[in-house]
Amino acid sequence: MVENQRWLNVLAHAVLILGVIVVALPVYIAFVASTHESGAFMSGVIPMLPGHNMVETYSAVLRGGVSSQISQPIWLMLGNSMIMALMIAVGKIVISITSAFAIVYFRFPCRGLAFWMIFITLMLPVEVRILPTYKVIADLGMLNSYAGLSIPLIASATATFLFRQVFLTMPDELVEAARIDGAGPMKFFRDILLPLSKTNIAALFVILFIYGWNQYLWPLLITTDPSYTTIVSGIKRMTDVQDGTPMWNYIMAVSVLAMLPPVAVVVFMQRLFVKGLIETEK
Amino acid sequence: MQNKRAIFGAKGLPYLLLAPQLIITAIFFLWPAGQAIWQSFLREDAFGIKTTFVALENYRYLFHDPSYLNSLKVTVVFALSTAALSMGAALILALAVDRMLRSARLYSTLLIWPYAVAPAIAGVLWWFMFNPTIGILPYLLEAVGYKWNHALDRGNAMTLVVIASAWKQISYNFLFFVAGLQAIPGSLREAAAIDGAGPVRRFWTITLPLLSPTTFFLLVVTIVYTMFDTFGVIDAITEGGPAQSTNILVYKVYQDGFVGLNLGSSAAQSVVLMGIVILLTVIQFRFVERRVNY
Amino acid sequence: MATLTLESLGKTYDSGASAVRDVNINVADGEFLVLVGPSGCGKSTLLRMIAGLETVTDGTIRIGDRVVNKLEPAERDIAMVFQNYALYPHMSVRENLSYGLRNRRMAKAEINRRVDEAAKILEIGDFLERKPRALSGGQRQRVAMGRAIVREPSVFLFDEPLSNLDAKLRVSMRGEIRSLQKRLGTTSVYVTHDQLEAMTLADRLVVLRAGKVEQIGTPLEVYQRPASTFVAEFIGSPAMNLLDGVMQGHALSIAGASLTLPHSHQGPVRVGVRAEDLRAAPAGTTGGLPVHLRYVEELGSQRLGHFDCAGERLIAAFPSGQALSDEMALMAPPEALHLFGADGMRLA
Repeated sequence: MVENQRWLNVLAHAVLILGVIVVALPVYIAFVASTHESGAFMSGVIPMLPGHNMVETYSAVLRGGVSSQISQPIWLMLGNSMIMALMIAVGKIVISITSAFAIVYFRFPCRGLAFWMIFITLMLPVEVRILPTYKVIADLGMLNSYAGLSIPLIASATATFLFRQVFLTMPDELVEAARIDGAGPMKFFRDILLPLSKTNIAALFVILFIYGWNQYLWPLLITTDPSYTTIVSGIKRMTDVQDGTPMWNYIMAVSVLAMLPPVAVVVFMQRLFVKGLIETEK
Repeated sequence: MQNKRAIFGAKGLPYLLLAPQLIITAIFFLWPAGQAIWQSFLREDAFGIKTTFVALENYRYLFHDPSYLNSLKVTVVFALSTAALSMGAALILALAVDRMLRSARLYSTLLIWPYAVAPAIAGVLWWFMFNPTIGILPYLLEAVGYKWNHALDRGNAMTLVVIASAWKQISYNFLFFVAGLQAIPGSLREAAAIDGAGPVRRFWTITLPLLSPTTFFLLVVTIVYTMFDTFGVIDAITEGGPAQSTNILVYKVYQDGFVGLNLGSSAAQSVVLMGIVILLTVIQFRFVERRVNY
Repeated sequence: MATLTLESLGKTYDSGASAVRDVNINVADGEFLVLVGPSGCGKSTLLRMIAGLETVTDGTIRIGDRVVNKLEPAERDIAMVFQNYALYPHMSVRENLSYGLRNRRMAKAEINRRVDEAAKILEIGDFLERKPRALSGGQRQRVAMGRAIVREPSVFLFDEPLSNLDAKLRVSMRGEIRSLQKRLGTTSVYVTHDQLEAMTLADRLVVLRAGKVEQIGTPLEVYQRPASTFVAEFIGSPAMNLLDGVMQGHALSIAGASLTLPHSHQGPVRVGVRAEDLRAAPAGTTGGLPVHLRYVEELGSQRLGHFDCAGERLIAAFPSGQALSDEMALMAPPEALHLFGADGMRLA
């Protein structure tokens, strides 16, 4: 620090504490709401301190059958989200790492074309081509399936570029040494490239898991069968109440459950998370 | 394209390795995109029986449609406000954390986790806080004489979706600003201090100019985020209302296509959006290239 | 154990640029051959062609009596030590040594025997279970050599293996490589840009220039009878002095002095003379080159005088006590003079 100005340090702490509070406030209020009984919201304003109904609320939503909106057990949706997030994360990593391997370590006709075909996917987010993609899924009979939920989101230029970058920074001599040691391409890939990319894979996995878990529009369209609903897209249906007041305590409990897994991943794997985030934007 | 010196000679293997990626790209990216472009030149009649080729008619219609022009305007206001709010807040927090030595990591952890919250959930949380009947913030606002109702008031609705979207994006911008600040050599600030510049002056003359690459990068990323990733926020809070006041382009594509079943117009909108993404990607890449050259 | 034969070997890239041209070398069984030359002379490309890491566009490579042009590196029965060692960072030293053997499905007991033996020879037994990043530069170098040794190949290939080490370590490792190679008796090809390293290691050395062989010979042959001005300047430190002269029959006139030589020639020549072949003489001595002293480098064991001689630079080495004056003469016995034609090739 250039100068040790006390008032600046105090100000900085004040700013940060205020920031932390503002950032945490919505989640705190949601949590508080989830610990009260439904009746607590009749009085007019949300309570600010936790109530005593936490265990009951959460076990009720996990079991399901709370109301016509929350008829599905939430653990089922959590399971669906988990399956989708894992399929997307693992699938993206697998197809990206193999295509990056092909592009970096081989020379073949149409290599440039393949590179550009992958690059193009950067420019076509799901939201943009939503209707025709939906039609493809419908034509292939992939509505209401885990494959339909995850496979269209699996192709990723970002992940391929990341691995390409990682491979390009590996010394050429490693391949040469491996070739002299009698390792063919796939053996080199498995014995040397994969172990050396371990932390990059882990960092990318953290980012992709969050990406997959937080998908909203796509599952909303693809799953009409409630048994495939994911928790993030399921919440919307709970808030759509035609008559009477929404069951705030239950909705907020589901919201808290829906953000718990990805937030836990960020908090407990902060180092990997930051690495992944910064690397994928290079 | 950079090249490796040592390469394998196998002939079929690279194609095999690329196949999954390319097949998925072809089926779920290129084909639908092609369909969208083709569809944008067609018009279906009311019963979906007859389709006629109308060339650029859909586009012409689109840019004369007041609701589409409104959506464009709403998107610009939404994107710029969200970028200003999230980047401003993130920069202030990053500057504060940059002063910290021991507590920097703890503060960072407490500030970055909203990145993991889905936009749709962020929408639900803020929608709950601002709920006109039981929300805590309308209650406080009423105490100072302001009647909040985002279900009726267009300005309130826009404010709310901006806050909810910015809240989620602060963590991302914060992380990159912190990284950008750490990349500024301490000696520069020390030299400025020796030259007699106070902390405020140092910020404007040294820190901010040197942060400009990061700032520009984050501006592009945040605009992309607000244009495409905030679908969940809009759908959870306003569904584009009231009176189209928060109906951003991405939401309108969805509404016109899935709810309104106006395929030609929706396809034309998709193509326009693709054009915007391509533009933003090009800007971002040119910028990255330049950053590498420095 | 095997011979290595290169016959009219050439390499032309797709772009049309040629990296190696018409190289013919026979490496005898157990011989230590050093390829030396400035950067870009094609020495690494040549080595990598022998290894099978670069394709061959012309000629043949034979190991023993087997033509290996089209064989994969692993099938050529060679082992290579890389400049940056190329150790697998995620594997322990033991795994690094045994990786190639495991890929060949060798029996476990045999692998262990070879690894332990190599570890003993190279004195790396204490850190077989460590990862390469926990080792010093010299230790990594040993591991890289160990990886070559355990393979018990027909030919060792070394690609500037010492250039990443500090000067002191380089000298001691040089000695170790030499004694190790003698002990194992394995045919070796060694690439370096450092002429001193080349001189001290080689049974024979090959000086390369722009992809072509400039000279092949034992270190002494190359030092004493350089085939061209290029070799003359490249091999030896300080570099050989080269001066312009004119010959008429046996008479050489050079920098204002006249000498009578055993061989005869007509026309302009380049005259080479090594620093240690020059003797100091008082100014004006007949048959001496008149020189002006610029400065003196004291090396302890000897002193190097830097001179001006009719506008050209000259270096001469003297015993440490030698007195030098500003204006003096330098003498060289006629048999110590090397004569090169206008094309730079040796005349006699």
